[in-house]
Amino acid sequence: MSTERSPALRRAGLVALELCVPVLLLVGYGLWSHRALDFYFPPLGEIAEVFGRLWLFDRVPGDLLPSLVRMLAGYALSVVLGVGAGLLLGLSRLLRTAAEPVVEFLRALPAPALIPFALLLFGAGDGAKVFVIVLGAVWPILLNTIDGVRGVDAQQLDMARAYRVPFAARVLHIVLPAASPRIFAGMRTSLAIAIILMVVSEMVASSNGLGYFVLESQRSFAIPEMWTGIILLGVLGYALNWVFLRVERRALFWHRGARGRLGTAGPPGRRGRAARPRSAPSPEVTDA
Amino acid sequence: MLDVLGLRKVHGPDPDGPPAVADLDFSVAAGEFVAILGSSGCGKTTMLRCLSGLVPPTAGEVLLHGAPVTGPPKDMAFVFQDYSRSLLPWMTVRRNVAFPLRYQGVTGPAARTATEEALAAVGLAGRGDRFPWQLSGGMQQRVAIARALAYRPKLLLMDEPFASVDAQTRAGLEDLLLEVRERYDITVVFVTHDIDEAVYLADRVLVLRPPAHVSLAVDVDLPRPRHQVDTKRLPEFGRLRAELFAALDGGGRDAAAPAPSPADAG
Repeated sequence: MSTERSPALRRAGLVALELCVPVLLLVGYGLWSHRALDFYFPPLGEIAEVFGRLWLFDRVPGDLLPSLVRMLAGYALSVVLGVGAGLLLGLSRLLRTAAEPVVEFLRALPAPALIPFALLLFGAGDGAKVFVIVLGAVWPILLNTIDGVRGVDAQQLDMARAYRVPFAARVLHIVLPAASPRIFAGMRTSLAIAIILMVVSEMVASSNGLGYFVLESQRSFAIPEMWTGIILLGVLGYALNWVFLRVERRALFWHRGARGRLGTAGPPGRRGRAARPRSAPSPEVTDA
Repeated sequence: MLDVLGLRKVHGPDPDGPPAVADLDFSVAAGEFVAILGSSGCGKTTMLRCLSGLVPPTAGEVLLHGAPVTGPPKDMAFVFQDYSRSLLPWMTVRRNVAFPLRYQGVTGPAARTATEEALAAVGLAGRGDRFPWQLSGGMQQRVAIARALAYRPKLLLMDEPFASVDAQTRAGLEDLLLEVRERYDITVVFVTHDIDEAVYLADRVLVLRPPAHVSLAVDVDLPRPRHQVDTKRLPEFGRLRAELFAALDGGGRDAAAPAPSPADAG
């Protein structure tokens, strides 16, 4: 058992291991494409050169920014709508029952199928794309919020009620935080969906954006350009997910702590976990 | 101070179904410490929830200062058995204690003072910045008690508050409770299934038998302040203990149990 290595060294080792495979893949592709002279798989150097020319930072305001704005607007709207509606549906059994068939139907609907309708409704502008993104990305957030709200510990709510904490404050300070691990899980799924729908919606009736750029490059046989768009999308998704995980780590600090998964990042002076319940003759029937 | 009159509680929609609480009558005087002793599943948690106004009774009344309880009353605090589920893990200890105060109109320096005082009273001064899950079980229950104290209740309801901690911690918490109720002049209704704990803490012990009704009321005339060793050594303690044991157990369940063998009788 090699347990004597320092944590810092271990971390460095893991990071190196993580970098190893992508670097090998890149080198492998570079070597292969350099000899292959395949029209569809241009040499790495050429792709890199085109990437630098296009995306540092010529086309950033024209294509990358509009895409990002649409994606983030659609995502933000999805979060607000999903959490808001999820709170309502999670708290009210009546509303939940009434809304369920509609929710299940809309959720089953592939969002891109509504692109033609969105174009009719909003024209070819940003509105249609944001609409499609919301229509696809809102569901994981909504459903996870509902589940999270329903899973709130009744005793926490009883406690607040016994101390005469008003309803709105109970929702804000107990229901919402208690549901937040689930909400974040939904938001994480939705982030990926939002990026996909951004690209798809930009490939139909658009005059800018990353999706438009990739499709246009392909149509004009600008294969290296096409690849740079694809690579940029990958990088974008990776970066957004990274940012998301950082935010989540901060916001759910208490959740990992309460589950004893804080590791070395925890604050100093951590005490032992809660004592296990004494072995009572038989557990009290909580007839609540 | 607290009067329970003909309290009846039936779970579910049918008011004629089997009751969890039936014909429950008792009163608690101001400043009194009443322990309610009952075995598991005898309806004592349901009873306490009716007393606190968390659930409405099916029939009967709960009066606090003569006024019927229809919801959680203003000067009542509740300490639950399971501290890990009644403390909020996303709030620091300090925020947990201060959480209810804002909604009582206690804010700013007054809330800070009340919070720090309550934390000091339970021996957790300086731990306000911790999170509940960074504390041991006994300390977490002390946070729950501090939250109740900061609330400045006249009446404190406790639902088996020390059932989830080890024996050592439990003794400490019992003494802490007696000390703070003296200092803050609180009336306590303390639900437990532990005979020793009931006798040790209370001025009066009520034995509950299912469906929850008072089958025996015993005054505890043990001298105060009580002491974990000396009080429990008193002959009166043993007598009360035996009486309550018989009352609790007297339903005939163990009537046919074999007598202790000579080897056990020491």
